[in-house]
Amino acid sequence: MPDGLEVRGLCKRFGGIVVADAIDLAIPPGRILGLIGPNGAGKTSFFNLVAGVVRPDAGRVALDGRDLSGLAAFRRARLGLSRTWQNLRLFASLTVLDNLLIGTRRYPAERLAALLLRPRLVRQSDAAARRRAFEVLERVGLAAFAHSELGRLSFGQQKLVGVARALMNDPRCLLLDEPMAGVEGAAYGSIQSAVRALARDGVAVCVVEHNVAFIRDLCDEGAFMFAGRVLARGSIADLIADPRLTELYFGT
Amino acid sequence: MLSPIILLQIVWTSLATSSCFVLFAVAFALVLKVNRVFNFAQAATMTVAFYAAFAVSGRAELPGWAGFLAAIAASLLMSLLLEVFGFRVLRRRRASSMFVFIFTLVVAEFVAYLAMLVFGTWPATVFPSLFWPVSIVGGIAVSEWDIPALGATLTTLAVLFGVLRLTRTGQSMVAVADNPDLAEFYGIAKERTYLAAMLIAGAITGLAMFLYGTRSQVQPTSAIELLLFAIAATIIGGIGNLWGAALTAAILGLCQNASVLFLPSEWQGFLLYAFLFLAIVFFPQGIRLPQRRRLARGIPAAVVGLHGPMGE
Amino acid sequence: MEYLYTILMLMALSVILAASFNFVIGYGGLISIAHPVFYAIGAYVSALLARDAGVPVALAIPLGAVAALLASLLVAVPALRISGDYLLIASIGFQLGVLEAIKNMTWTGGAGGLTDIPALFGRSTGHAVYVALAIVLAAGSVLLLRGITRSAYGRAMSALRDDELAFAALGRNAMMIKLGVFALGAGLAGLAGGLYAHYFRFLAPDQFDILQSAALLTIVVVGGMRTVWGPVVGAVVLQALPQAITFLDLPPSVLGPLQGILFTGLVLVFMFVRPAGLIAAGDLWRGAAVPDATAGGDGAGRA
Repeated sequence: MPDGLEVRGLCKRFGGIVVADAIDLAIPPGRILGLIGPNGAGKTSFFNLVAGVVRPDAGRVALDGRDLSGLAAFRRARLGLSRTWQNLRLFASLTVLDNLLIGTRRYPAERLAALLLRPRLVRQSDAAARRRAFEVLERVGLAAFAHSELGRLSFGQQKLVGVARALMNDPRCLLLDEPMAGVEGAAYGSIQSAVRALARDGVAVCVVEHNVAFIRDLCDEGAFMFAGRVLARGSIADLIADPRLTELYFGT
Repeated sequence: MLSPIILLQIVWTSLATSSCFVLFAVAFALVLKVNRVFNFAQAATMTVAFYAAFAVSGRAELPGWAGFLAAIAASLLMSLLLEVFGFRVLRRRRASSMFVFIFTLVVAEFVAYLAMLVFGTWPATVFPSLFWPVSIVGGIAVSEWDIPALGATLTTLAVLFGVLRLTRTGQSMVAVADNPDLAEFYGIAKERTYLAAMLIAGAITGLAMFLYGTRSQVQPTSAIELLLFAIAATIIGGIGNLWGAALTAAILGLCQNASVLFLPSEWQGFLLYAFLFLAIVFFPQGIRLPQRRRLARGIPAAVVGLHGPMGE
Repeated sequence: MEYLYTILMLMALSVILAASFNFVIGYGGLISIAHPVFYAIGAYVSALLARDAGVPVALAIPLGAVAALLASLLVAVPALRISGDYLLIASIGFQLGVLEAIKNMTWTGGAGGLTDIPALFGRSTGHAVYVALAIVLAAGSVLLLRGITRSAYGRAMSALRDDELAFAALGRNAMMIKLGVFALGAGLAGLAGGLYAHYFRFLAPDQFDILQSAALLTIVVVGGMRTVWGPVVGAVVLQALPQAITFLDLPPSVLGPLQGILFTGLVLVFMFVRPAGLIAAGDLWRGAAVPDATAGGDGAGRA
């Protein structure tokens, strides 16, 4: 299975704490995998390892058959790996639209040399990026807020901005870190439909989420993580029904 | 030409000379570790300490111990002022680390210019003469400065070690260095601990500057260059590791002194910048010790003075 | 008249230096105070090329700027590879090291200074044209940097300042942006250096030392960091101020330190009383309201 996200033997320890213990996980294109487990199971660490934020001690990560091991985070993103952050990490001094534009894939207007020497190319790429950003904002229902400061948005809307920003990269694989934490109301449906549309286009999606209803609605299957390991994989319903896993989930 | 005796002589003299550097580095590393401030204003403390000693022992020709006390008192006062009217205010304002750093740098420069205005730019020394009687021990020339300087340095290090390990204040400093919020949660008064660290570093700085000024000429801008040496040692020794910084300062001092053998003396000053540069290029996180507990405990590295997310 | 030209020239050069320094430290968020060393490199390279290698002055000045740009990469590449925070120390070391080297070498004129630097224009054209050229270049620099900060590149610079990790996770090469900003800033400083060298026709290492760093920092902080016009206002005001002191007719041994005290004292006053500078750029000096998570982020190590 060379396509989609493929993780093999990923290991990482911080001092005495093992956050990833030989994780094997594959997500084929078009699949939405829910990653569940108690706090501290290593889910976010897994994302950081896959995205290249943290360097693993061992193991490899591949996307669509391309080995990503050893590549810096920005190179992985350029190869189609997008992520959102549990604590948003939006650019506070920029408007909603500008936050999205930073995510634009291939953006010659952002190159200093082009800026000085090729004004036409810059104008064209700027216009294209803006069109695309409005498309994405439309899709998540935030077009009206394009020129707003982030501070004027609700927390749920800010989460949506985070997702929209990740979409600007035209990802091949999307890692969503607790997209629903602190979100209520309309954003719920918007995130669901945006992610489904993405999966239909063949993107491999991995979601970390504590909101069981959300994950059951959205995901094709689930993986249960505990103490840096993937203990079980199967349908979300089966994982939730498994008394041993429930015990681990609530027992700690 | 390089007889063992000459080599031994160089090692001895360098070791003695670098005793002040060791103390500068330890003081700098202590404030960096506990207060998480890249305290360039230590140069100001050094300048104030030197000129206090110079005014008392050099100009007013009072005995050496009076100059020594003046140096210590001046550096304690300077540290107190810095902490209370500088760092405390900035902390309350949640000033960015860039702001705090620029503050310390500007204070260092301000004090240097003040010293120039009051004492002039020419070099000065605490005592009129830099010459110390020399006795020959086992073929090596040992000056009367060497033994007290080394003794004072080793005593200071031992006392500091004891304070950090055994006293409540010292343990508070270690705890705050580890995680200020957690320390506060356990009932440690953060503000008092920061002040204590500044004062201890100030006292060490005062002592070291007095020693330095009795052996070398000092100008208003000397302190900034001396401090760069301490910074290089702190970086190579591993930020947050006091004893590593001390050891590195001793080794760098040795290298610089030994360079007389193969470098024209006017280029000796240049060596410092080479150290600094090499330190940053090759040992940015210090000579690595096997463990990195700081990350493991999830302490917010980003709030540590200047070093932001290290971007693993 | 000559005196007025000199002051106008110094103001124009200060504007280029302050605008480019503001670009690096304010907009780029790259903490370095070694900007004068690139000024020095531009000046010395241009002067030596014109004087000893027979390069026409009009070509030597841009070459000096290129040299400053390349030198800045020499510092920034190793320092930034590790973390932005080391840039500061590396660049101070570089500044003092380069000045130390200039003092100790004979072909740079040593500590005594470099003399007999050829002028750009012959006597007939005179200083008026030169000053006009400098003013045009100063205006051009300010407008160029203004254009960049308002472009997509400037947007990327803001985002990088806000959150480097998130920036990288969007496929942005933070290192390239930092290098670009630092190099462009240094290149402009080098240009100012070349202009200085062929106007005053004398260079000494002391002109580029920490006092210059302090003066530049003062101009930017007092004028208003991360604003377009702040450094311009700061440069003009603070270039005029020391001139006013010169009229007091003090001996040089008092004048130098007094200027230094004035510069640094002003920064201190502004930092505590009016942190945003004369021209305010909003909530400039605030650190993150919430302390940032570890490099691993989100409790990577807290499991």
